[in-house]
Formats: sequence, C-alpha cells, structure tokens
Amino acid sequence: MAEATGARERVEQHALLWGLVAVVFMLSALPLVRLVLEGIAPGGRISGDAFASVFASAATWTATQHSLVTSLGGTLIAVLIGTTVALAVSLTDIRARNAFVFCFVAPLLLAPQVVALAWLQTFGPSSTLLKMIGMAPPLGSRNPLYSAGGIMLVLGVQYSPLVFLTLRAGLRSLPQEMIEAGLAGGAGPGRVLRTIILPLMTPPLLAGIALCFVSCLGNFGIPAVLGIPGNYLVLPTLIYQRLAGLGPGALSEVAVLSIVIGVIALAGIVVQDVLMRRRDFRTTSSTASARAFELGRWRLPTEIALWTLAALVLIVPLTALVLTSFVPAVGVPLTWASATIENYHFVLAEHAAARRAFANSFGLSASAAVIIVVIAVPLAYFLVWRRNRALRILGFLTEIPYALPGVVLAIAAILLFLKPLPLVGFSLYNTIWIILFCYLGRFLVLGLRPVISGYHQLDRTLEEAAQIVGARLLRRLRTIIAPLVAPTAAAGALLIFLTAFNELTVSALLWSTGSETLGVVFFSFQQGGDSTYASALGTLTILVSFALMLSTLLFARKLPRGVLPWRD
Amino acid sequence: MFSRTRRSVLAFACLAVTFAAGAAHAQSPSGKLVLYTSQPERDAAQTVAAFRKVYPNVEVDVFRSGTTEVMGKLAAEFAGGQPRPDVLLLADAATMEALKKDGRLLAYPQAKVDGIEPGVVDADKTYFGSKLITTGIAVNTGAKTRPASWADLAKPEYKGQIAMPSPLYSGAAAIMLGTMTDRPDLGWGYFEKLKAADAVAVRGNGAVVTAVANGEKSYGVLVDFMAFNAKAKGSPIDFIFPAEGNPAVTEPVAILKTSQNQPAARAFVDFILSDEGQKLAVAMGYIPARASVGMPSWYPAGQKIKLMPTDISRVVDSNSANLKRFATLFGN
Repeated sequence: MAEATGARERVEQHALLWGLVAVVFMLSALPLVRLVLEGIAPGGRISGDAFASVFASAATWTATQHSLVTSLGGTLIAVLIGTTVALAVSLTDIRARNAFVFCFVAPLLLAPQVVALAWLQTFGPSSTLLKMIGMAPPLGSRNPLYSAGGIMLVLGVQYSPLVFLTLRAGLRSLPQEMIEAGLAGGAGPGRVLRTIILPLMTPPLLAGIALCFVSCLGNFGIPAVLGIPGNYLVLPTLIYQRLAGLGPGALSEVAVLSIVIGVIALAGIVVQDVLMRRRDFRTTSSTASARAFELGRWRLPTEIALWTLAALVLIVPLTALVLTSFVPAVGVPLTWASATIENYHFVLAEHAAARRAFANSFGLSASAAVIIVVIAVPLAYFLVWRRNRALRILGFLTEIPYALPGVVLAIAAILLFLKPLPLVGFSLYNTIWIILFCYLGRFLVLGLRPVISGYHQLDRTLEEAAQIVGARLLRRLRTIIAPLVAPTAAAGALLIFLTAFNELTVSALLWSTGSETLGVVFFSFQQGGDSTYASALGTLTILVSFALMLSTLLFARKLPRGVLPWRD
Repeated sequence: MFSRTRRSVLAFACLAVTFAAGAAHAQSPSGKLVLYTSQPERDAAQTVAAFRKVYPNVEVDVFRSGTTEVMGKLAAEFAGGQPRPDVLLLADAATMEALKKDGRLLAYPQAKVDGIEPGVVDADKTYFGSKLITTGIAVNTGAKTRPASWADLAKPEYKGQIAMPSPLYSGAAAIMLGTMTDRPDLGWGYFEKLKAADAVAVRGNGAVVTAVANGEKSYGVLVDFMAFNAKAKGSPIDFIFPAEGNPAVTEPVAILKTSQNQPAARAFVDFILSDEGQKLAVAMGYIPARASVGMPSWYPAGQKIKLMPTDISRVVDSNSANLKRFATLFGN
C-alpha cells in the first residue's frame, strides 16, 4: 500500500517535472536556438552571407556604436543617481522613507516610451509647462532631448532605480560589526563609507551596473521617441525600422542584428561575472541591520535634496505630459479657455485601434500573469526543494529571455512562427498569440522570483505532514502550498501585469491589425505627429499603473522584503 | 390534382426567383476588408467609420504607415505569396503606377468617375485619385521672415530652421523629390543647398507639422491640409504657396488583384469617389477630386493653386535611384 502510494507519487512528480521542463524549454530555449540557427544558416543553408552583408553596412556599425554610447552613458548616470540615493536612504535617518522610495522607483514601472515623451514635453519651445510659467525657449531652439545626451539622461533616470534596488538589498545585509569597529577605531562616517561600506558593496553594485547596462541596451521606447526623429538610431530601433520597412523579407538581416545585440548583452554579464570572481567579497553573515548615521542638522537639507530629485524625475515630466494631454493642438498654450478633453474622447471613444489596444493589453497582461503563476508555483517547488544540477540549468534558462534585450526574443519568435505550425497548420505570425508567447517567455522569471522567495519563507514540515498522511504532489501543491505562497504569487502576477501592460519592445515588432497593444498605438500616435493624442493615451496608462502599484500596498504586509520594488 | 401541383410548383419557382432577384439587389457587400493606407491616423479612422455607415456588414482592418513603408511591407508580402490587403489608399499615383506595371492592380471599369477630375483617374481604371494634396512651405507664426518661393527657402537666413518629410517614409515627399529634382530651376542642386542649410529630413509630414507647430523649426516642407488643420485647431502655423508652384499628389485608391473580397473592395472605391466620400475629404481639409462637392474652408477664394507638373512615368523610373541618393545626402 505504502509502496504503491510512493510509486504513484513518483510518477506524478516525474510527469509534472518533465511537463515543466518542456514548457520552460519551449518558452525560453527553443526561440533562441532557432535564432542562432538563422544566423548560421539563413533560410536553411549554411552561409556567412547574412553576417557579411550586415557587417558591411555602415548603418550596423553606427547603430552599434550609438547603442554602446547611450547604454554606457545611461548606466553611468543611473549609477551616480542610484548609488547616492541608496546610500542616503539606507544609511541615514531620513524621514518618510517609504513615500520617497515609491516616488523614486515608480519610473522603472512606467512605460519607457511614455516617460520619454513626458521628458520631451518638459523641454523645448512648445513645452506646455514652460509656456505656462513663461520660460519657454525661443522659436527654433532644438529640443535638447533629441540627442544622444537626451537618450542617456532619460535612460539613466529610468534605470537608476535598478542600481538603487540592488544596492539597497546589499546595504540591508551590511555587517554592522565592521562599521562599528571602524567608528570605534576613530574613523569618521565619510571614511567608514569610503573604506568599509563601498568596498563591501562592490558585488551588488556590479550586479546593478550589469543589470542597468543590459536594460539600457535593450530599451526600445526611449531611443525610439528621442532618437528616430533626429535619425539617431541604436540597434533596437534599427531592427524595428528594417522590419517595419521591409517586412519579413529582412528577417535574415535583422536576425543577425539581434544576435549582435544579444552578444553585447552577454558580454556585459560576463564582464560582471569576471570582476566578481577576481576578489573575495564574502562576509560573515549579520542579522542586525546597520544603525543609521544621524544626520543632525543636515537631515532637513538631505531630505529636501532627495525630494527635489523625486520631483525632477517623476513629478515634473508627468506634469508636462498631463498638461499636454489637455491642449487642443501642438503649440497652443494651455489656458482655462483652450483646455479640452477632446484628446481623451478621441482615444477612448473614437479611435478603434486605441479601444482595441486597451482590451488587448489588458487581456495579454492578465493572461500572461495568470499563466505564469500557474507555471511558477510548481516550478519553484522543484527549484527550491529538489535542487540538483539539471534544475539549476532550468532556473538559468528562465532568466535568459528576460536578461536579453526584448528585440532578440521577438525576432526569434517571428522566425519560429512565421511558417505554419506543423500538425495544426496555421501560423501564429500576425496574430495576438505570438505576442502572448513572447510575454510568457520573457516575463516568466518576473513571476518566478517572488514565488521562489515565498518558498524560502515556508516551513516545509506542513508539506511533509500532508505527504505522510498520503496527499500526493498535485494535491499538496493545490491545498497546502498554493495558499501559502499566494501573496508572493500575487505580487509576481502584478509585476508581470504592470510590465506587460507598459511593454512596447516586443509588440512593436510583432503587432498586426487587430492585435495592437497600448504601447504600439501610443508609438504610432507619437510617430505620426499626433503627440496630443499620445499624451492622453500615455496619461491613461500611467494612471492605471499607479492605481495598480498603490493597490498592492493593501496586502504588502504579507510579502517578503524586496518582492515589490516600489515598496521599501 | 396533378396539374394543380404543377401549377403550384411553378408559382413557387416564380416566387423563389423573385426572392432571389430581390436578395441579389439588396445584397450588400459583407465580410472582411483589409485596407493599407498612408492617411493620417485620425483621417483613416474617420474614413473607415463613414464607409461602415454605408456598408455596415463589412469589417475593415487598417494598416497605416508612410507610403514608402506600406510599400515595403507589401513588397515583402508579395514575395511571401500572401498579400493581405484588398484595397490600397496611398499618397501618390507613381506608387500605383509601379504596382500596375507589376500587374498587381485589378481594373474596375464600372467605377463611377463622372464628375471626378479626369487627370487623376488611370486610363485603364486600375487606380482612382481621390483628392489633391499639395506640398508647400509651412511657417511658424512667430517666424520673423517668410520665404516667398522654394528658392528663398535655401537662402542662408533660413539655415538650421527647416524640417522636411523624408521620401523614405512619405509618398508625397517622394513625388516632391521626383518633381523638383526633374526641374532645371531646382534640381538636385536645390536639395544639396538645403542640406548645406542644415535642413533635416524627419520621418513624415506628421513629424514636420509637429516640429513647426512646436517651434522647434520655424519652417517646414509640408502638405497643405496638415498645416491648415493644425492652424484651425489653434496651432501657431501658416502655409505659404511658393512662387514656383506646389508639387501635388492625388491619393489614389486601388483594388489588388489578389483581393479576397472584391465586392467589398469595389464598394470601398465607390464610397471614396461618391459625393459622400468626397464631402468627407473636404470636411477633413482636403481638396476633393470631385469639384462639385465644394472646397475646404482654407482654399484661397476665387484662386487656383499653381501646381508643379509631375511626369509620373519619369518618377516611377527614377524613384528608387532618387531615394538612394536622398538617403546618402541626408543620412537616413
């Protein structure tokens, strides 16, 4: 009897595990394998022609150079801002820390293309905001953000929360003894910071830098809004333009370009890895978190400086965006008399594609969130409690589609699905399903990470007790484990929803009539010169994002630290 | 008995024929219609909505981008053997002429073209100009000086102040390029002068109107209706008809041979050329192809706009070389 139960338990376990392996392999590895194959053998024949023609083109080199310059510049700005803020928030006794962290981290969760437009509308001769305060620059002044520097600045602001978050996590586990030893030895706070804290923070800082670099490299929305008008192309926008202008005919070429960008991203990750290995950063573990430095009379000025920063990176650009959404046409100053809700009426009621996009983006984001949670809960069970080498590789596989730039996965998916599927006989290309497929692959890890941290908090004895009384794996997952990891799973689902809802990189390459996402419609308004409609649509998506972020504060107490990035 | 049955069968058959005839008469096109167009977002949406009011059973799928980009997508679909669109509504006749040469367009001899400007309809009835869109010079109302001609615009005082639509995106701009480079008084030398004056080629007319209305550029090479529509909404923008004349396009509509829904495609062409479709074009600020429906409110009263003549067949032949040369000159 016991043996039979054990046998059935093993069958169930194996079936579930192999099922999960198959799903993860299909979502993460298969498209990339297909992409690499296209690079080596375009159209099925081994040939270096595609590589040769891509590398012979000057546009490739220019875009690669632009990509490197803007990503490195953006990372540098993000590191400066993120590090300063992380140190101030973690080591000092400033007040209202939670509210500040929310405001500072929020841009990370907003759509990059909307943030870019908001910044664009903050400056320039037609800035509604500057016009209202009578400070608009003279006619003919070029908007300073249409430049490499503008792209770097907005990338840096957008991703400085990434550096902040990794450093903040590191600073939380800073060994207090060493700081106290330093202070007791007569070192001032500045010296402790320089000689103890910063060296100990090298690993999280390097991780943050690598993450930030790869994110800047893969970002499409910001260089698209700020770079395409001035014809400053980076790799993702070059890929977009080639594919938009030439359609699937340019596939071999864009496949090579996306391999180039993938290789640069991997190089960034490898460099980080090598740097980490050169030194030993292990510390004795410490439970108590470091005591805050008392700022004394410097507290208020520090707080003012931090909040000014939050206002500059969040409130000012968003105000510019919202104000522009109420003007009747570009270049009209906003007054009580000229203000109109016509732009909102147009995007909500008149424009069929915008209405469809709301339904599509909600549907895609919600489906991706639910499906990923259903995959992540059993997957994390194996990853956390059945550790072995094969599973570690599986865990690594789930990371790849998110770590690589979004265009890489999108191009890989086109290659995979352009031809009709075998057996079924229809092609996913030009349907909404190809977008869902990419969302599942790309955002799986966003749902998996919180669930894994939820498992780490669980006491396994409950599950073992259930197993002893004869409940098999699926039943245990359903009745014992799922309710216990539900809060972290919900947080993961929300992160996926928010990210997918604001997404453009993948859908810009995969959309077709009827399957437009909000990002695509926004981008098409912006590119077509309808920036007042784009502002209205952007304002609406930002409202939805904020509402969702704030709603999580209702159940945030039940979550492990660090699961919700916007909650300190 | 027998005869009665026969009679009633006969009567029934007659009735059935009557019904069938009635149904055929009332039968309106239905199903899905795929439209590829270069109209601005809002105009495309309004055109489709007005069309569906007349033909409510037709579902319309729209793909919108610049003419050159639409053609890129279409070329790829031709290569793949599965062109999706049934109808095209693109900026210029040269594009249509190229498609016609490749045997892609379906003739529609029954199209109701009485009253339509004869010059805009293809002799073989494969494409039909729907309006007249001219390109002139847009100027921000805050600008101190105003150019009176195309030649003026290349003068040093306008250096760094000019935006123009890229022909690599816009069909109207491709015709503008083909028309102007073909003239002895302008030619490629003119575009080289513009380049020397730091003129920038932006993505399309939509980007030009934004830049000029915004004040990022004081002057823009722009299509008429966009300038006047922005002006009507309150944007600080004016439109100049240059002395040499305005290059113009006709925004033709055409049916693809590969159309899966020809009844609906023909209905779309009918609608565009109808009084109703033409009045809609006027309401959206375009000069209509059917003069009887009136002119847009901005049209200079009692005047005729001077058009710069375009040799369509020459433009068809030189287009790809023109685009390449432009791309090299302006770096995009």
